Order: sequence, then structure tokens, then C-alpha cells
Amino acid sequence: MRYAEPETVEEGLALLSTHDDARCLAGGASLVSRMNAGQVAPAMLVSLHRIDELATTTESAEGLWLGAMSIHRAVATEARLRGAMEVVRSAASQLAHPAIRNMATLGGSLCLADPKTELPAALVAASARVEVAGPAGRRSLPVEQLLVGAFQTSLGKGELLTRVFLPRGLGGAVGHHLRFSRVSADYPTVSVSLVLAMDGETCSHARVVLGSCGPVPLHVDAADAVLVGSRLEARDVAEAGRLLVQASAPLDDVRGSAEYRRMLIPRLLGRALSQARELAHV
Amino acid sequence: MSHDAKPKPVPVPVGEVVGQSVPKPDAREKVTGRALYTDDLVLPGMLHGALLGSPHPHARILAYDTSRAKALPGVRAVLTAEDLPPVDIGPVIKDQPLLARGKVRYAGEPVAAVAAVDLPTARRALELIDIRYEVLPAALDVDAALRPDAPVIHAPRGEGHPNVATHIRLVEGEPDKVWARCDAIIEDVYETPAQQHVYLEPCTTLAAVDPDTGRITIHTSTQTAFRVQAITAEALAVPMSRIRVQVPRVGGAFGGKVESTNQPITVALAKAAGAPVRLTFSRTDDMRMMRSRHGARIYMRTGATRDGRILARQVRIHYDTGAYADDGPFVAAIGSYFSRGPYRIPHVDVECWSVYTNKLRAGAFRGFGNPQVHFASEIQVDRLAEALGMDPIELRLRNALETGEKWLGGAPVESGTLRACLEKAREVSDWHRRRERPSTTSPGKRRGLGIAAVGHVSALLGSSATVRLNEDGTVNVSTGAVDTGQGSDTALAQVAAGALGLSLEQINFSRPDTDTSPYDWCTGGTRTTFTVGHVITEACEQVREQLFEHASAILERPVKQLELRPGGVVGVRGEPGLSTTFGAISGYALYVAGGPIIASSRWLFPAWQLDTRRTKVEGLPSMGNGFFVFAAQVAEVEVDEVTGKVDVLEAWCVHDVGRALNPAAAAGQVQGGFVQGLGYALTEELVWKDGHLVNPSMSGYKVPGALDVPVAIHPVLLERAFGPGPFGAKGVAEVGVVGAAPAIINAIRHATGARLNQIPATGERVLRALLAHEAPATKDG
Repeated sequence: MRYAEPETVEEGLALLSTHDDARCLAGGASLVSRMNAGQVAPAMLVSLHRIDELATTTESAEGLWLGAMSIHRAVATEARLRGAMEVVRSAASQLAHPAIRNMATLGGSLCLADPKTELPAALVAASARVEVAGPAGRRSLPVEQLLVGAFQTSLGKGELLTRVFLPRGLGGAVGHHLRFSRVSADYPTVSVSLVLAMDGETCSHARVVLGSCGPVPLHVDAADAVLVGSRLEARDVAEAGRLLVQASAPLDDVRGSAEYRRMLIPRLLGRALSQARELAHV
Repeated sequence: MSHDAKPKPVPVPVGEVVGQSVPKPDAREKVTGRALYTDDLVLPGMLHGALLGSPHPHARILAYDTSRAKALPGVRAVLTAEDLPPVDIGPVIKDQPLLARGKVRYAGEPVAAVAAVDLPTARRALELIDIRYEVLPAALDVDAALRPDAPVIHAPRGEGHPNVATHIRLVEGEPDKVWARCDAIIEDVYETPAQQHVYLEPCTTLAAVDPDTGRITIHTSTQTAFRVQAITAEALAVPMSRIRVQVPRVGGAFGGKVESTNQPITVALAKAAGAPVRLTFSRTDDMRMMRSRHGARIYMRTGATRDGRILARQVRIHYDTGAYADDGPFVAAIGSYFSRGPYRIPHVDVECWSVYTNKLRAGAFRGFGNPQVHFASEIQVDRLAEALGMDPIELRLRNALETGEKWLGGAPVESGTLRACLEKAREVSDWHRRRERPSTTSPGKRRGLGIAAVGHVSALLGSSATVRLNEDGTVNVSTGAVDTGQGSDTALAQVAAGALGLSLEQINFSRPDTDTSPYDWCTGGTRTTFTVGHVITEACEQVREQLFEHASAILERPVKQLELRPGGVVGVRGEPGLSTTFGAISGYALYVAGGPIIASSRWLFPAWQLDTRRTKVEGLPSMGNGFFVFAAQVAEVEVDEVTGKVDVLEAWCVHDVGRALNPAAAAGQVQGGFVQGLGYALTEELVWKDGHLVNPSMSGYKVPGALDVPVAIHPVLLERAFGPGPFGAKGVAEVGVVGAAPAIINAIRHATGARLNQIPATGERVLRALLAHEAPATKDG
């Protein structure tokens, strides 16, 4: 196996384009353990650690750009992630355990596209976009278009995820992330990421995204539509939950059967909404 | 102790060392990473070993082709069963080959072994081994294995179903006749999982064979140097005199390292390769290849009169022992023996089966068959209390065995302190207040409190100790006991210090080495502090006699006027100024008269033979243990009604430890036991699909982490010193795990009304139980 530490995105792209079966090494939390387990054996590792651009956070009027190499702990402690963007901060602060949060990265988590993980779902809830650099230059796309399947992204050969854009969202909106897991240091059995805005007692905006309920984060426009304009009463939550369950294809594993996950969807949705509502009223 | 002899008064330690929470001397090196474990050891020319696991749960081996693996550069040895002596091992039933021979009986069973210059090469070589199998139908659970037409896993050994490894029946009184006299009868089926030990240190061995003499040296992570020596000798047909076993630091064991692990196969690789070989399992290989606690299904029926006297119990236990019997027959024996619980129940009918299936073998694990039956019994006793309208502690108190009463089978309870444990638990947990007014909690959550009474045994089998006085008056203590991390080296050094009035700095406690240590059976069965501590005090007593004999000459006073004084001094009673030191006495013995001061002691804990006039006994293999110990465990839980997830908020564990030799270490055992029981209760379970383990990793199989256990697990140590343990100490190690699960499940019931008869009580199981409990109410409403 070959190994390189480029210092710019362009150097990295050059390495990726000239080697078959090259893999980017970000935090290494998943890639290295999968290599140790013999599940993957890349011919070349391109470490992204020395590329300063990938570790840079920039703020604009519209929102925040987070570098792909931002570790979860940095995202979790980024004070500028407020309002709707809080959903990402909240997810990053809860996921896995401290050792992983100190090691794993935002870009690594997205490019792994593991349906068991929760950060991709939180990014979809935040309406995030990603910037991708490749042989043909840079392009930007909604995060949903990056995540195309379980462990599958739309990245082309020789492409590299550089940064993630989080829009500020509606004024007054709150972001919230609720995870349920067997023990604290585990993948979530089900996670609920949402952005919510209230106009008095009436929901004026809702974007609900579930993790571990399908090959990619589960977002159902119709479920959001049920909540918007409602007073988030039990029957509204139940109806939104029903639509989400209907659209879900939950994982079925040691963390919970698919049936249990279907039971959890409306129940956790109700809890997540009432918690978010508390935040919205603060 | 002999059951006929009058108990000797419990001796009193000299000096202040016994009873102090001195830190473990190995704590600092472990925290800083300097401690040397087997996998840290390197010998010149050392190779790395790896094992190939079977891809099928049950298959005939048709042919091997190892030529491609042998041809791989860097490979030094490739072994299959064809290269090994045709020996099967096993503590009770000789049914296990080192590498599968003729057929494989579980997915993951080692079928071939490789030694190579490095681990990646060894693993690549495993992939190059070609084995042709004929897949056989598999028996993947107890029901399937007991069908008349079930696949036969081992050649039949006699009467009965060939897949039954052990069958036991114990009957006392006339249970069939008294059910009609019971005012309340509870009957249920309980299920417990295959929990895994998840010791921090996976199994590991470094073996070297001297090319000239053929002498074998083994460094390994084990609970017993001497059994490793004996089993390796048996498996490889080598005399024990040619085998030396040394035990570096051990990173936990919990019963998983009682029998051989990978020692014999590593020795075989070292012999074949002509070089030292180290074989350390990956976590996943350890989980797939080693062993687990027995999964169990227990039918239990218990009846009591209106005034809370338990009259009768019927028990039917099925233990899933997996592909090999291992310690399963003994586990079945203990399970049967404890299925009456720590209660006086005059009419009992117990039947127990240990059943072969095509799964990972089940063996010894902290509690040894007892957590399973306590789970059933303690939940059933709670339900009985409910049916009788009694407080659960009150019902337990009415039936608790007292000193002098008989255990199932007739053994006397020598120190019946369950009552004291229950009363203390009631007090420290503020039982009545918390039961009647559970503290308020956030919406969607409910709190409850539950209890379990615990009876277990400590001490068994043989130990020996040698105590030798150095020239300067300090002392060497050798025992052969393995400290698996639980702290026995510290507690036992304190015992020697207390027996001779020395400071810990004056004691050298030597580590196990079969070349130099006296025999010890094993660190298991809650026996080490008790049994090894006993022989240390006995040897120290002989040393004291020798010291006094010389001191009498030196001080010119009769022996009976002499006394031990702290710090290694022999003085004369009533004459504070007159004394001599151990150093002076040692010099006298070495150069003037008598010779070196040294003493040895040996002991076989006397086994209780079941009283067959009292009890009808069938099929019970000998156990040879029996000093009963008692505890009471209380847990407070919070149940999330949205998800079913259970959090344990606080726990109170009251244990009669006889005497706390090192209170911090004893408290650590109590807390560690509770945490392991918490995992058993809530999350830990090996899961198979089509005969393959689906969660052989720390990610899939979840032990509780620091954030999942309550900060407040209150260890409450009662000290009812009694019996032959050192200064009246009783065993504590396994006891803490035994009652945790039923206490937690009883607390869930108290919090929610939900009834769970199966663990782990995962969120899914609890949520379903909650919904089932609420369903009739919804219908009525």
C-alpha cells in the first residue's frame, strides 16, 4: 500500500486521479478499522491531514462553511452553529463517544455514507450543501444528492469533498437532534433530526429527517407538510409519523429489529418535536 | 472446613495491614501502560500464530489442502487435526479436539493453525488453506437439538438423547402432594442469554520449545498455571515435567480462562515451526472461538401458603452448552443446586439438562450457572409476594435460610447471614419510602425499585502455600495463585502480613510459575482469597511456631509467654522491653541452629457429599465446594416509556464478606459484579443467525460503558467473620453478578407493571412488555 500527504486540494486531486483504487484518509475512524478487519485494502491512501483548506471554517451572511476535515468535537463546540444550524452541532455533540468525536471528521462521515450514522441525517435536516472538487473543477450540490445509497455517494472517480455549507435557515427556527441507542457509545437505533419554527402555537416550518431508517437519511416532504400549519397535537404527530413509517425501510440488526424501529419512529418524533418546541419558546 | 469438626475461633490479625484499603501495587503500571501482558512479550525469532475458523456450524471435513499456505513465503508451520495427536480434551467429557477432527461443530471452530513471520502473513496463509466440507444439518437451539430426529453432534455416550451432555434430577420432600396446600402458585418460563466474558485482554499465549531438551515454556493469560500445564500435557501427550507455565499480568478472565484457551495449539505450532510462537486472538476471533455463559431456559413453579411460607418448587432447566461440554456439566450441577434459592423450601423437584447445540461452547462464567436460576427464582419470588399481597423483602425474610439449616441436598448453612443482608439492604436503600413513593421524574419516564436475595458458594478444591523467612526477617510467600486483575495478590499479601505482624513492604508475594510455585487449582469459584488465604495463614502459623521456638532460646523465655508484635518482632508478654526481631531469629536459624525457616501448607476444601437419604439424586457430577455466602442487591431504575430503554440510577449491594481484608478491593468486586450483571440484564447477548454469530465485536455486542452505569453503586460490606477463610473472610468475587439482573427486572416491574421473563431487557423487549401490559387497560377504558 502507498501513502501520501498532499498539502493542497490540487495535489490531492492529482494523486487521486493517477492511482487506481486510491482512498482518502480523513479521521480514519472507520477506514482504518475496516482495513484492520480486512474488509478493504486500498492500494493507496491519500491523507488529507495537511491540507489547510479542508480544516477551515468560514462565515458568510447566508451561513457557515465547515471544512471537510472538521472533527466532530470541533463541530460540536462551534458556537456559531445556532438556530436551524444547531441540529448539526447537536448531532455532532452526541454521536458515538469522545474518542470517535476527537478523531472522526465531517467529510469522512459524509463520504462513508453509513446508514447507521446520524450526522448525514442532521445535515439533510439542515438543508446542507457540499462542495466537491474534481478533475473538472468544483461543484456544489445538496447533501441529499451526495448520499445515493448505503455506503454509496455520487462522488466520481478522482473527486474529493472539500467543505459543507450550512444555511442559516429561517429566523426563529431551531434545530434539534434526538438519538436513541442501546448504550451511550453505540450507533443510534433511530435518530431524529429536525428544524422547526413556531408561530405562536402553530408550526410554521418543519423539516424532519430520520437516521437508520433506510439506506440514506429519510426525509418525507408530506410528513413535513402535515406538521406545518398544525399545532403539533398528538394526531398531527401520529400522522406525520405514519407517513415516515410508510416511507421507511429501517435497518434490521442487533440494535433493533425493523419492526421496533418502525415502532420508535412516531414515538421519538413526538419527543423530538416537543423538545424542539421547548427550545423554540426559550 | 470439615462439617464434623467444631469450628475453630476466627484468628485475629496482628498489626494494622488487614482491613486497610491499600492500593494494588500493580495499579500504577496498569494505568500508565507499563504492565507487561503476554502480548507484550517478545522472544528472539518469535513467530505469530493465527487460527482458521470453520465457515459452517456443522459439516464433515472431507479433505484438506494446505500446500498453497505452506508455499507462502514467511509461513513456518501449517497444522490441521491430521498433524496433532488424536486426543480429545475436556474437564468432564473428553469431547474437544484442539483443531476440528472429522467434522466441525460450530461456525468459527478452529480447523487449522498457522505460524508465520508476522501476523499479516499468517492471516494471508489462512486464506490459502483449502478445506472441502460436506455441510450437515445443524441443531441451532435446545429445542432443535432435543428433537428425536435431531442431527447428532457427538457420538452417543450411552442411554438417552445423544445431544444431552448432562441430565440431573434432585427431589426432596413430596412436591406433587403439597401443591394443593398452596394458596398462591406462580408458574413461568424464563430465558437468559449467552453472555460473553469480554475480558479486556483477549486470549493469548507465547510458547517456546527448547530444541535440545524439548522442554516447553508457556507464557499465557489464564486463571490457572497448573491446569494449563496439565491440559497442555494431556492434549499433546507430553509429560507435565516437560512443561513450564508462567503467567504475566492478566487483563481479566471472569471464568473464560479457567480451562485451556489457545495454549495447547500455540505449543503445537511452536513445536512444528521450531521457533517461539505468540498467538493473540483478535477480539472477533476470541468472541467466535472461545466460550460464553450458558444461555438458559428455565421453567419454574413455586407455591406458598397465605402467611408467606414457600412450600414447593418445581424447576426444569435447559442449559445450552454449545458444541462442546467444557464446564457445562458442572454449570448444570451448580444451577440445579442453587435452583431452590437461599430459601427453606421443603418440597422441591429439580431437573436439569445441559444440551449440545451447533454453537459456540458455553463454559465457566462468573456465577457459574447461578445467575440463570437466580434470575428465575428472584423474579418468581417477587410475583409470589405480589400474589400474596406481601412486601418482597418480607416474603424473602420469612423464607431465608438461617445458620444451621440445610441447603438443597443437605449441606449445612454455616453462617446464615441472608437475613442480615436483607435487613441492611432495606435500611440503606430507604426501601419503604422509595417503594411507596417513587421519586418523580421527567415526562415519559417512570421509576421503580427492585430487590434480589443472593446465595452463592465460595471456596473449593486444592491450594498450597510456602512461606519462607529471608535472612533480614522479611518474608517470601509463594502460592501459585493467579491474580486476574481482581486484586488477590494484594489481599493475600495482606493476609500474610496480618498473620505474622509484618508491613506489606516486608512481604514478597511471588507470581505463579509451575517450576517454582506450590500448586493452586484455579482463580475461580470465588475461592482464591478464601482457599489460598487459608493455606497462607496455616503456613504462617507454622512459621510463627518456628520463630517462637528460636525466640524462646534467644530470649530465654518459654514459648507460651511469647507474642508477635507488629513490624517483625517477637516479644515477651508483660515485658515490653524484651524482644527480638525476625531478622535476628532468621540469622540464628541460618547460622546457629535449626536451619532455614520455611513452612508449607496444603488443603483440599472438603466436598459436601449430598445426603441421599434426604434427597433423591440422579446424575449430579461431583462439585466439591460449599461455603455458603449471602448478599442482597437493590436497584433503582428509570424506564423510558417512549423507547423502552432502562437506565439504572442507583444500586445498593449488601454483601457479607466475613472480613474485608482490603475494603476498597472488596467494594470494587461488588461494584464490578453489579456492572457485569447490569450488562447481563439490559444489553449483553450473543446473537446467532443461521448458526453464525452476528455480533462478534465490541460494536455489535454491547457491554455497559462508563456512561451507562450509575455513579452510585453503593457497596455495603457486612463483616460476619466466620469459617476457615483468612481471619473469617468469605468469598465475594462472583456474588455481585448473581442478583443484579433480577433486581433490575423486579424494579422495571415496580416502575411500570410490565412483566419481563427474558433478558437482556432491551428497549425493544421492554417496550413490547409495556404495551402488552397497557393493552388490556386500553381495551377496558
